[in-house]
Amino acid sequence: MRWFRFAVFISIVTVLQASLVDIVAVTTANIKPDLLLILLVFFAIYCNTSEAIVTSFTIGFAADIIGPAMGPHTISFGLFGTALAYLHRLIAIKKIPHQSLAIFIVGFFAGVLAHFLSLLRGQPTATNIYAVVFGSSLYSSLVGPFLFLLSAWWMRIKRRKT
Amino acid sequence: MARKQIRVSRRMLFTWFMLAGFILLFAPQKLTSKFQLAFAHLFRFPLSIGRNISLSARVQQPLRDVVSRREYNKIQNYLANVEQELNQKHLKLKKLSGYDRLYSLEGAKLVMADVSTDAIDALHAELIINRGHIDGLAVGQFVLGDNSIIGTISELSSRTARVKLFTDPTSKIAVKIEKLNIDRIMQGSGNYSAKIPLVSKEHDIKAGDRVYARKEPGLLDAPMIIAKVAKCKQDDENPSVWDITVEPACNIEILNDVAVIIMNPASPNGWMNPQK
Repeated sequence: MRWFRFAVFISIVTVLQASLVDIVAVTTANIKPDLLLILLVFFAIYCNTSEAIVTSFTIGFAADIIGPAMGPHTISFGLFGTALAYLHRLIAIKKIPHQSLAIFIVGFFAGVLAHFLSLLRGQPTATNIYAVVFGSSLYSSLVGPFLFLLSAWWMRIKRRKT
Repeated sequence: MARKQIRVSRRMLFTWFMLAGFILLFAPQKLTSKFQLAFAHLFRFPLSIGRNISLSARVQQPLRDVVSRREYNKIQNYLANVEQELNQKHLKLKKLSGYDRLYSLEGAKLVMADVSTDAIDALHAELIINRGHIDGLAVGQFVLGDNSIIGTISELSSRTARVKLFTDPTSKIAVKIEKLNIDRIMQGSGNYSAKIPLVSKEHDIKAGDRVYARKEPGLLDAPMIIAKVAKCKQDDENPSVWDITVEPACNIEILNDVAVIIMNPASPNGWMNPQK
């Protein structure tokens, strides 16, 4: 794992997520793809389990940095990223539809968990939170596999087809 | 042997990271927000560039020979504030109480700040600006955007501050609706709207009516425009009151810079033209 490249990549993507991704936001609920979620799934699939644990929590921390509060995404991304890394040891997630499905499921459940953790912390909630989480996960799952190509190139990771 | 060590460290890694996550979750917001403000300060240039590109992609080009909607709103807000100042002046003259201040921002210092980044959705509505307590900012101070109040300072670091917009679900600001002399608390409802509850149906309220932030000692010397009534319908739960939805008096989405109102600054030469 090239950790310096990883740090630079996460910093760039975090800045993009906080500023530029608004361009592609859709609907009045401002639904946009979650680039950090896509990277979470990418590293959980293409790294070994130890690296996946570190990257999952780090990406969660980055998501919290640009979010309303610290903690919820660190925990939810860390938990689901680690779970996906362990799952990947049993079931290979190599095909694009499977990767999309993985992004959608991880995005939805991590979003719901982050929402409940935010409630624990006393953060406000919206009436349409599940619709927003669903929409964001769906959007991310559609664009995610394409971003995998860029991520693999930057991280010098070889994507093998099975 | 080496594999065994990795297995142990894998569990330990997970445990320690989870522990760190829970510490972050339950640590006071005042401490943890320093990470967010530090990030916003460190990456202020790329964030600002990204936001500007995002804005330019979203904002449509204005028609020729027509004042842009933003400019129109800005002038309308200025007019509303001047009208309100005039009303205040009349009241003061009537009372003959000898107040020495006639204008809402007289004696106030306006600290101009660039918007580094924003986060506006159903859950929260806030801006990060590139001014902090070094510039004289303090929690609770009102923030102007295009001559209308848009929110208050909620968190601070030395060179960065977080502005909680009045549309944030946790925001509560005392307001009055145009012509009605009653105080109400306006509650944010996410995205670009807020609600004003408990206004009796006896009052005549219609869409487009202006809403003013009430004056607050030490923070705002006279009411200033904050929003406009977007929708006014009968409340479903309590038919005797209105369900009033308001929207910001300016387009917060396209704001590049804001001004923080510092009342009674230490330096007497702080007055700046609000049109700037």
